[in-house]
Amino acid sequence: MSDKQHYFSTDWAAMTGHDWAGLIVTVLIFFGMAIAFWWALKPSRRKELEEQKYKVLDDD
Amino acid sequence: MDTTMTKPQYDDGVVKYLTVLAVVFLVLGTAMGTMAASQLAWPALNFDIAEITFARLRVMHTNTVIFAFGGMTLMATAFYTVQRTNGLKLYSNGLAWTTAILFTIGLLLGVISLSMGMTQGKEYHELIWPLDIAVALVWVMFTFNFVMTIANRNKQTHSHVYVSNWFFLGMMIMITYLYVVNGLAIPVSMFESYSIFSGVQDAMIQWWWGHNAVGFFLTAGFLAIMYYFVPKQAQRPVYSYRLSVIHFWALMFGYVWLGAHHLQYTALPDWTGSLGAAISLAMIIPSWGGALNGMLTLSGAWDRLRTDYILRFLVMALAFYAMATFEGPVMSAKTVNALSHYTDWTIGHVHSGALGWVAMVSIGAIYHMVMKLWNTEMYSMKLINFHFWLATIGTVLYIVAMWVSGIMQGLMWRAYDEYGMLAYTFAESVSAMHPYYVMRTIGGVLFTSGAVVMLYNIVMTLRMAKARQTSAVTAQA
Repeated sequence: MSDKQHYFSTDWAAMTGHDWAGLIVTVLIFFGMAIAFWWALKPSRRKELEEQKYKVLDDD
Repeated sequence: MDTTMTKPQYDDGVVKYLTVLAVVFLVLGTAMGTMAASQLAWPALNFDIAEITFARLRVMHTNTVIFAFGGMTLMATAFYTVQRTNGLKLYSNGLAWTTAILFTIGLLLGVISLSMGMTQGKEYHELIWPLDIAVALVWVMFTFNFVMTIANRNKQTHSHVYVSNWFFLGMMIMITYLYVVNGLAIPVSMFESYSIFSGVQDAMIQWWWGHNAVGFFLTAGFLAIMYYFVPKQAQRPVYSYRLSVIHFWALMFGYVWLGAHHLQYTALPDWTGSLGAAISLAMIIPSWGGALNGMLTLSGAWDRLRTDYILRFLVMALAFYAMATFEGPVMSAKTVNALSHYTDWTIGHVHSGALGWVAMVSIGAIYHMVMKLWNTEMYSMKLINFHFWLATIGTVLYIVAMWVSGIMQGLMWRAYDEYGMLAYTFAESVSAMHPYYVMRTIGGVLFTSGAVVMLYNIVMTLRMAKARQTSAVTAQA
């Protein structure tokens, strides 16, 4: 096993309940962030989002 | 058309109270810091008085500037902006006043107890357990009022919640979670307790809190201030609203991973430090995205910096934010950390963020709010300009002194002679620091003087506004 393979290898059998919980939450949050990025950057949403920035200028 | 019918009356009394008190705590907190810095240059200045020796004064300083000045600024700006961006009064003005008064009492008791040497011994989480619980409850009251104000908005006229509120909410939720978990302890007497964590887990939880106090309290909260007050002061919309959304989610996702970079080369598993450093470096992207978003808001209006001194504070804060969020990730990398950790470089880094970013963006927001809240011009715009230069030169002096001192310290500690012996004793490294400790003190004196100028300017502004109001009433009569 190369150094890199050794560094990134995981003993899946040794994973505890806490390890699995952490892994699942992390992966889910990562996909959540990816979805948030896709939602915000979707070209069709540009006008809807960008017009929000003008409202704050005359709120008082 | 009668516009008074369409403009809601806001609950500004509590905002005024928090705003003025924030400035008072800025003066007190920076004065304590300057005194602590002076003691490092001239130890005799502790006068053998236990309550003001460096060990206690340093903690009093951090608690006063972070939680008293920073906390009051966050509460003032959160209550100010949530009403205006959602077009309604606070959910409960009474609850807001209760929160503000209890927070003031808690902070004063906190500083007094710290001066008496009462502490949990956890950095940035020193308050003894009864005060710890009280602060957590007050924070929850603050959060509840903020959330309910947003929930009660008219969803037809204000369907979208402006992005500054997202940053405030992120801060409130995460700080509650982090503060409570790190504070879990078993009380053994009225003033003493033991953390439920021990050993390396205790260190990990402590720095998971410690770095996120920076990430969510001192960054997310003050970014909320930036996203509201930079566009308002510049009178231009934020450069890209979509970038602000990306900035928000990247920050929320990324910051919680960074704590382990405070514990490189310790008993923590090696991979946790590497992961902390890798995510820290990745965080440069959203941090710079946010800083650019604020700065580019001025596109086409950069000339305003010549005449608008408040805007200068806000933009200088963004420059320091960009600098500190580049420096931090570099310092988290193991190779650099081997040199920088435990040295004054870390103190310099913290202060480039604390003085340059947090204090300057707060100062800009506070000047803006004072004029709006009391419906007046400032007593002296020239004094704001004077304050700006005192704060900027003070901050630069401070951080340059700590860069030089810290790097020299690190190099002296790791230097070996031809026989493999340490080239310098620790005392020699302390002695070599002296000129830089003096330089840091001068930086602190300049920054504190700026805070005093600000307090004077605000007091005179309020007196001027009151006199004008009184003469208007007399003229009407």
